[in-house]
Amino acid sequence: MNDLLIPVLLILLAPLIGGLVYGFERIIKARMQRRIGPPLLQPFYDFLKLADKRKMIVHSAHAFLGIMHFVSLWFALAVLLLGGDLILVIFLHLLSTSLIILAGYSTRSIFSHLGANRTAISILAYEPVLIIIAVSIFMLTGSFDASAAFNWDQPLLYKMPLAFIALLLVLPIKLKKSPFDVAEAHQEVTGGVEIEFSGIFFEAVYTAKWLDYVFCYTLVFLFAGNNILLGIGLMVFTFFYLNALDNSSARVNYKQMLRFSLTVSFSLAFINLLINIFT
Amino acid sequence: MNLASYRKKSPWILHYNAGGCNGCDIEILACLGPKYDIERFGMINTGNPKQSDILLVTGPVTKRSRERLVEIYAQMPEPKVVVSCGACACTGGVFRGMYNCEGGVDQYIPVDVYVCGCGTRPEQIIDGVVQALGILEQKTKAMEVSVRLQKEPLKEEGQINRRNIADQIKPALS
Repeated sequence: MNDLLIPVLLILLAPLIGGLVYGFERIIKARMQRRIGPPLLQPFYDFLKLADKRKMIVHSAHAFLGIMHFVSLWFALAVLLLGGDLILVIFLHLLSTSLIILAGYSTRSIFSHLGANRTAISILAYEPVLIIIAVSIFMLTGSFDASAAFNWDQPLLYKMPLAFIALLLVLPIKLKKSPFDVAEAHQEVTGGVEIEFSGIFFEAVYTAKWLDYVFCYTLVFLFAGNNILLGIGLMVFTFFYLNALDNSSARVNYKQMLRFSLTVSFSLAFINLLINIFT
Repeated sequence: MNLASYRKKSPWILHYNAGGCNGCDIEILACLGPKYDIERFGMINTGNPKQSDILLVTGPVTKRSRERLVEIYAQMPEPKVVVSCGACACTGGVFRGMYNCEGGVDQYIPVDVYVCGCGTRPEQIIDGVVQALGILEQKTKAMEVSVRLQKEPLKEEGQINRRNIADQIKPALS
C-alpha cells in the first residue's frame, strides 16, 4: 500500500511539481545573470492568465493533438513512476513527441514546420542513447522494469557512470536547453512547434514542458537505486548543471547537435553497455 | 476565482519595429537586461503574437510595414493592449509628413498608451507598460479590430495575398 501511495501522489501532483521546478529554474537562471527574476509561482500565474484569453485555434485537429501530447506524456510519466517497463516508457515518450510533431506539420505556418523538423531531428539525437541506457540497466539488473532499478540495493551510478554522463549530455536536447535547443530556438523559430497554439490550448503544451522536467529528473533519480539521498543529490546536481550550461553556452545548429550526440553521447553509452555485458 | 487579476501578473510582450531607427528597440531590449529586469514582473518577450498580451510598437508605420502591423495585431487573442513607444510611433516624429509614412501607429490600430521620447528611456517604457497593465485588467474578451485597413485578403491563384491592401483602400496615399 505504502509502495503505491508515493508514486500515485507524485503522478497526480506531477504538473504542480514540474511548475515549481520551472519557476525555481527561472529564478536561478535570473540570479546567474545577476537579475532578480520572476516570483516562484510565475508559471502558475502564466497558466491562469492563459486560461482567460479568447480561444483561438488553427483547426480542431491541431488543438486536439496538442492536448493529446500532454495526456500521453503524463501517461508515460505515470508508467515510469509506477515502475513500468523502461522501453515502454521511452516509446510512450516518443509517442507524445510525435503527436506534437504531427501538430506542427498540420498547420501551414513555416515556423511550425521548421520546429517540427527540428523536433524530429532531436528525437534522432536522444532516443538511441536512452534506449542504450535502458539496455544497460537491463544487463545490470536483469529486468527492463524501472521498479527493478528503484529497488536495486546499490546505486546504478557506481556500475554505469559513463551512461550517466551520456544521459547528462542528452538531457539538454530533451529539455530544450542551450546549446541543444534547436527545436525551440526562441530567437529563430519563436518556439517551433508551439508557435500556432494560443490561449487555453497553449496551456497543454506549456504544462507538458513542466511534465518533461519531472520525467527527466525521474530518469536521473533512476541512477541512485534505492539510495534516496544520493538520488536527491543527483537531481540537484543535474538541475544546477543544466541551468549553468543553458546560461553559458550558445546554440549549435542541428547538424552539430546530431553529430555530437551520435558520436560522443552514443559511444559513451555504448562503451558502458559493453562494460556491463563483459564484467 | 477572478482570473482577470492574473493578467497583471504575467503580461507577455510582443515587440514590433514598424520601420523605426532601432533606437527604441534597443531601449526595449535594455529593459530585459540585468539593470531593469522586467522579468521580475513576469514579463517575457515572446516574439509570438498568438501568445502575447502587450504589443510594443516602435517606429513610424511605413508603407511596407503597415499590413504586417495590422496582421500581427489581428493575430493577438484578446484581451490585448497596444503601447506605442517613441515619438515616431506616437505621431510620426521626424518622419511626419514624408511620402513613405503616415504619422503614427494610431492611424491603423487602436493605441492604449503613448510613450514619448526619442528614443524612449527604459524607465518610461516600464512606466508605460505598467499603465497598460491597468487597462489590460479592465478589458473584456470582445473582438478588437484595426480601425483602418479592414478588407478581405486577395486570393491570387489559390494563394492568399495580404500585400498592398492599404494601397487599395487609400489610393490617394500610394
